[in-house]
Amino acid sequence: MKLVIFNGSPRYKKSNSKILIEQFLIGYTRFCSETVPIHYLAKRNRKKEEKELFQNADTILVIFPLYTDSMPGIVKEFFENVIDTDIKTPKKIGFIVQSGFPEAIHSIYVERYLEKFAKRIKSDYLGTIIKGGVEGIQIMPKSMTKKLFRSFEILGEHFAKNEAFSPEINEILRKPFKMSPARIFLFKQLSKTGLTNFYWNSNLKKNNAFRNRFDKPFSKENFSTQ
Amino acid sequence: MNIVILNGDLKHEKSNFSKYLEELTKEFQLNHRVQVFPLKEMNLHYCTGCWSCWWKTPGRCAINDDAEEIFKSIINADFFIFASPLIAGFTSSELKKITDRLIVLLHPYIEIRNEEFHHRKRYENYPDFGLVLEKETDTDKEDLEIVSDIYDRFAINFHCKKKFIKYIDHHKIEDIVYETCNI
Repeated sequence: MKLVIFNGSPRYKKSNSKILIEQFLIGYTRFCSETVPIHYLAKRNRKKEEKELFQNADTILVIFPLYTDSMPGIVKEFFENVIDTDIKTPKKIGFIVQSGFPEAIHSIYVERYLEKFAKRIKSDYLGTIIKGGVEGIQIMPKSMTKKLFRSFEILGEHFAKNEAFSPEINEILRKPFKMSPARIFLFKQLSKTGLTNFYWNSNLKKNNAFRNRFDKPFSKENFSTQ
Repeated sequence: MNIVILNGDLKHEKSNFSKYLEELTKEFQLNHRVQVFPLKEMNLHYCTGCWSCWWKTPGRCAINDDAEEIFKSIINADFFIFASPLIAGFTSSELKKITDRLIVLLHPYIEIRNEEFHHRKRYENYPDFGLVLEKETDTDKEDLEIVSDIYDRFAINFHCKKKFIKYIDHHKIEDIVYETCNI
């Protein structure tokens, strides 16, 4: 199979999507020696190359972070660019949607769109992997990301062997679908201590912006006095 | 009322869609203040996910372009309209471009709503919105449901309500004006 991966993260090479794909490819290359081109949609001046890669691939994977419960603008632009009837479409297409929020429920709406998009371009739909809780993986200790990375490795292995996503891994990755009542209770207790905002607060402080965190620069009162 | 229309039409020339919006704007102007943003013609960039707006300059985007004008208008509007022809089964990339950047109007802190994690408000009030769309030749019921559901999700995220979806081949301009002002 000629596989091409499109990374739809606006963060380009600093993206969490890139890290997940690296893990996927560790597994993939164990069983498939063919090099896999990775195209970054954030490089918006490479539209010609993008189209060529799309047209010459047998199988395509598109990975992106969830933006306002759907695909980021650059991914939508990509979809618009390849929808033309004169463009040869890949035999198969699959998607990986990762989000900052831990629950899969945020991503299931765009999943329906993606399935319909595959139908629209007449490619076989390989499914959508959904993984929440990805924001912060770059600063987490190894022990915290070990399981996640291992899952993406196995996903890659399975993909190389079967040209499909592993249904078992997909099921594991998309948990939790929603927060359990126990976890909601715990979150509410923790939020009283401010611990739930630790990630945001530490970054706000690092940037010397903590005291401005509630700024409302565009409220009427603010810009009428400016 | 203060009404903002985000026109996500990708065509440069005067399309049917933009003409429809022009008529709609005129109708609104009889009794209201309307601001129309022709997104394609503006200097707007895609969100880069840098999160400056959340942890470097809270509430302000790091990109210096025309988006700030839109942020100001939307957060102070009584109502806003996402207007776009459907392309590849969804609203245009121009409209999605500005939609992604509206996170500048939210706060990074997380709260639980509908038993889900969501970001909390930065401002007191967020305006409700409607959608004005143009169908593609192959648009079917499923497409319309998908678009509607994704914008319902946007409404949850944006602490507001989606009031209507109207199609330019199907709905009269007067209907949109009526629903904007009365519901």
